[in-house]
Amino acid sequence: MDKVEVVIVGAGLAGLSAAYVLADAGVEVLVVERGDFPGSKNVSGGRLYLEPVRAYLPGLFDEAPFERQVVKERLTMLTSESSVTVELASDRFRSSPANSVTVLRARFDQWLAEKASEKGAFIIPGYKVDDVWMEEGRVAGIRSNEDILQADVVIAADGVLSFIAEKAGMRECHQPRNVALGVKEIIELPEKRIQDLFGLKAGEGATQLFFGSITEGMMGGGFLYTNQTSLSLGMVISIHDLMQKHPTISPHDLFELFKKRPEIEVLISGGHSVEYSAHDVPEGGLKSIPRLYAGGLLVAGDAAGLCLNQGITLRGMDMAIVSGVLAGRAVLDARQKKDYTAESLGIYEKYLKGSSIYQDLSTFQHMPEILSNPRLFEKYPEVASELLLEIFRVDAQPKQKISRTVLRTISRELLKVDVLRDLWHMRKI
Amino acid sequence: MHIVVCMKQVLDLEKIRIKPDTHEPVLEGVPVCLGDFEKNALEQAVRIKESLDDVTVTVVSVGSPKLNKTIMEALAIGADEAVILVDPHVNGSDAMGSAIVLANVIQKIGDCDLILLGEGSTDEYSGQVPSRLAEILDLPQVTYARELEVLDHRIRAVRDLEDMLESVEVELPALVSVTQEINQPRLPPLTAILKAGKKPLHVWSLEDINASAEEVGTDAAVCEELSNLAPAKPRKEMIFDEDIDSSVNQALEALEQEGVLDL
Repeated sequence: MDKVEVVIVGAGLAGLSAAYVLADAGVEVLVVERGDFPGSKNVSGGRLYLEPVRAYLPGLFDEAPFERQVVKERLTMLTSESSVTVELASDRFRSSPANSVTVLRARFDQWLAEKASEKGAFIIPGYKVDDVWMEEGRVAGIRSNEDILQADVVIAADGVLSFIAEKAGMRECHQPRNVALGVKEIIELPEKRIQDLFGLKAGEGATQLFFGSITEGMMGGGFLYTNQTSLSLGMVISIHDLMQKHPTISPHDLFELFKKRPEIEVLISGGHSVEYSAHDVPEGGLKSIPRLYAGGLLVAGDAAGLCLNQGITLRGMDMAIVSGVLAGRAVLDARQKKDYTAESLGIYEKYLKGSSIYQDLSTFQHMPEILSNPRLFEKYPEVASELLLEIFRVDAQPKQKISRTVLRTISRELLKVDVLRDLWHMRKI
Repeated sequence: MHIVVCMKQVLDLEKIRIKPDTHEPVLEGVPVCLGDFEKNALEQAVRIKESLDDVTVTVVSVGSPKLNKTIMEALAIGADEAVILVDPHVNGSDAMGSAIVLANVIQKIGDCDLILLGEGSTDEYSGQVPSRLAEILDLPQVTYARELEVLDHRIRAVRDLEDMLESVEVELPALVSVTQEINQPRLPPLTAILKAGKKPLHVWSLEDINASAEEVGTDAAVCEELSNLAPAKPRKEMIFDEDIDSSVNQALEALEQEGVLDL
């Protein structure tokens, strides 16, 4: 039987980061990817926070093919007929190196694969791994059809549905509550038009998140990221809510309605749709993280549930990269001891728990409960827009004092038990 | 017995997008792969190798530096070694230029009993290279073979002539181009892909094969590309959204009206 030192399943950001670290240290590493090329099956909303990863792979991302440096953040609440947007623009966002950038995965992942290849990693796309190969009760390789490839360690970086982690018994089958469905379209627009629409200079980017009536009371929202010559537009909706609240609504119908909103329609008119994709998103946070290591096996990236929906920041790619690097380092430690047992590989969990990404997951572990509150999508946007409509409106009748309008809205709409309870719960985040 | 299989590195046609307004194909950033027809040729060579003793298979290709990687698939499928010619001067060659380069490569390789090619390339499909190459090398040629077996110093082939089949026998050495009906190319197992990197890979330039840059490339090409557009195909945009039974019937009727189905 053939053998390599490390097999990584999945050429996404976690798998490729691990491959990069291992190949750089001279380890014989093989990455097996189901898609036709690295990045071909990978879907992200589109923004990568660079600060959390920079120290782990110093210098590597200086030349990366990013789309735009994010200098403008927008958050939009939607009711059926109105929208309220908060926009944050700051010169601090323009500093170098960038804090966050937009990316297109087909391009970015291929680039990272090239970098890992240059270090000596062997990347095989178009190949599906069926199972782990067990020997003496521990993972000792992978199986693909009749083909068995032995390895000292397998790193499962095979995405949110990670059947490698599932088959190796690292976690139970996914619960609908912990998974959301993302639908995304890439709409091509001229570079200049994108800049004009969002008030950006060349190379600068904007992001916009949407929540409110568009999800029909379900947990989730819309997102928009500016790329060089396209917009990444999409929606993410909790699978649990889709099943329980609106089993007959299909997410892509909701997405089409979202696209017809005047706030969106004006942005995408004249654009060409060049890509349509859908993907599951791990949204369970800290509580849905599976066992991260076993004898001969490590789990990284989405496969390890390392995703954080903080409502206004959505993170996954940075966590994938950090966990990939840490998995790689754990393998290097184990390799030095020539000991690939669970005990030895357990250093991976220690590394991860010591990282800022894990601490963020821990700090915001109650986020999923807070964000699943339907009042967030129905009542609060309604109250906010009603209040602002009243304040901005000029009628034939004399206007009331602003302070009176505000106080009346607060006493009528917000001094209620459920609202106060929501506020009380929010202390957890 | 030594078999040389000529394979072309082409753009992955499935990944090419057509611009909706101009009908131009978007060729930037499209991944490359080995042509489909040539994979049938290689598969046939590997099957011959597996059924007879002392057969070696060399795969030959001409193209961009990406070939270093692309050619690994051929080595994984079962070629023993590869010779790739990577030289910027060959860019833009037409069928004549390609045949000249291939002929020079094969002459330098030397001793060779059977040359296999696909019936045409997946991208341009001029179908000229096999015949031109046979002429330059002064070899008997069998084009459009859908069956091929090696007898002692001879081959027997069945040619696909669309309205009839022609059975022929030829003395070796000879050149054969194959159709897709000849076999079903295999997907190489992971272990074979791993071993491919350890097989000999020779990278040559025009200098190595004593070919002059004037004979090949864009300047030597007698064919000029005037335009490259996809046919305009407006979408019908019919949506049937009644209950499932009547929607299916309406869809079938519409397909019949379009002449796609004959019910």
